[in-house]
Amino acid sequence: MKTLLSLLLSVAAFGSAAAQAPEEAAETATDSSARSKALEVAGAFTNDGYKIRDGFWPGEIEKDRGKILEVNLFSGNEYWFVASATSPARKIVVTVYDASGKPMEIERYSDGNSAAAGFEPDISGKYFVKVDLLEGEKAPFCLLYTYK
Amino acid sequence: MISNPRPFLCLLAATVLAAGTLQATLTKQEIASAVQTEALTIPIPGEFFSAMAKVGQPSWSQYLKTGAPATTASRSIIALALGTLIADGYIAVEARDGQAVKNIGKEILSLAKKLNVSQSVLGRSNSISDFADNNDWNALREELEATQNEVKLDMAEQNDENLVILVSLGAWIRGVELVSDMVSANYTPESAMLLRQPSIVEYLISRIDSLPDADKSEAPLPEIRAALTTALPLVSPETPSLEQVQLLHSTMKSVCTLITGPAKTP
Repeated sequence: MKTLLSLLLSVAAFGSAAAQAPEEAAETATDSSARSKALEVAGAFTNDGYKIRDGFWPGEIEKDRGKILEVNLFSGNEYWFVASATSPARKIVVTVYDASGKPMEIERYSDGNSAAAGFEPDISGKYFVKVDLLEGEKAPFCLLYTYK
Repeated sequence: MISNPRPFLCLLAATVLAAGTLQATLTKQEIASAVQTEALTIPIPGEFFSAMAKVGQPSWSQYLKTGAPATTASRSIIALALGTLIADGYIAVEARDGQAVKNIGKEILSLAKKLNVSQSVLGRSNSISDFADNNDWNALREELEATQNEVKLDMAEQNDENLVILVSLGAWIRGVELVSDMVSANYTPESAMLLRQPSIVEYLISRIDSLPDADKSEAPLPEIRAALTTALPLVSPETPSLEQVQLLHSTMKSVCTLITGPAKTP
């Protein structure tokens, strides 16, 4: 698993490059902004051999109404799930659960309205990734993930 | 000297929380509310092969397929074949075979033309060729997924949504055919665990079932659905047995033959 220190350093290096990420025509400006921010954080992992999935999950997040995505993961792979929201969201968190809904032990990264969860599954199969808004108001968010 | 201070300031503001902080268990209602989106819920072959590369030492080049898929006028079969080609592209990347990647890129473009979704793929095909020339394997992995997504986007824009799932289905079938072959040849519990994918099979069956009657009754969709039903109990155990892996392989190989014709390997 990539160390958090190297992640933090890599985020800085990737910052300007991510601003040039292509945007989907159908997205609103705020959706694109959330995606660009998520790509900025996710891009930090690429220096450590992580590949960014091209797909992403956009939506709106509000307090006490976390958004949950089903994913299928492989044992042996390492994953970072990255989410970013735009203002007025101020603080979000990403959590990983197994198929029964039990929270998994994860490595966390948090920077205001961007957050990430690092996870190495012991068992292949279905998991859930939840994005919660801890502080702030309803806002667009985008989730994507990296693997290696 | 940091020319752009904004990311640096972000670093100062960054908060790192301790690993292992646990939250409450998800309720049944929360689990029921979970979203399935093909863009992320279905793993790409690259993820599958990445995990396989860690538990085994596959001779990737041995699994490279040569030759174009069998000619057909069926748009469903073309979409399925396009998916299998995407998976073959990842195999060529794992094999570090630039020429094979370029050949597969051309085949993808050829099939995309038949489905009238070649405009966006054309640029991707050129990028694939450039990255292959430069041995930029990580970029190729990302380009293959981007190609697949652009094809799907074009299909959706042309009201061909029913073909979108077939691309994913083709890629998944070919990926499982390959990995089950590798696991069968050198069985270990660790490698067999990678084939545990019941929820993906259930998802694919549900997507086939949601197709219009005319589409899902068109060959080889009924055969593929039957194969997925056969596969479900084989991919459900935490560690599928050797016998289950072998049966899974023969099942997926039969389906691949229906899609692309008999396999040709170098």
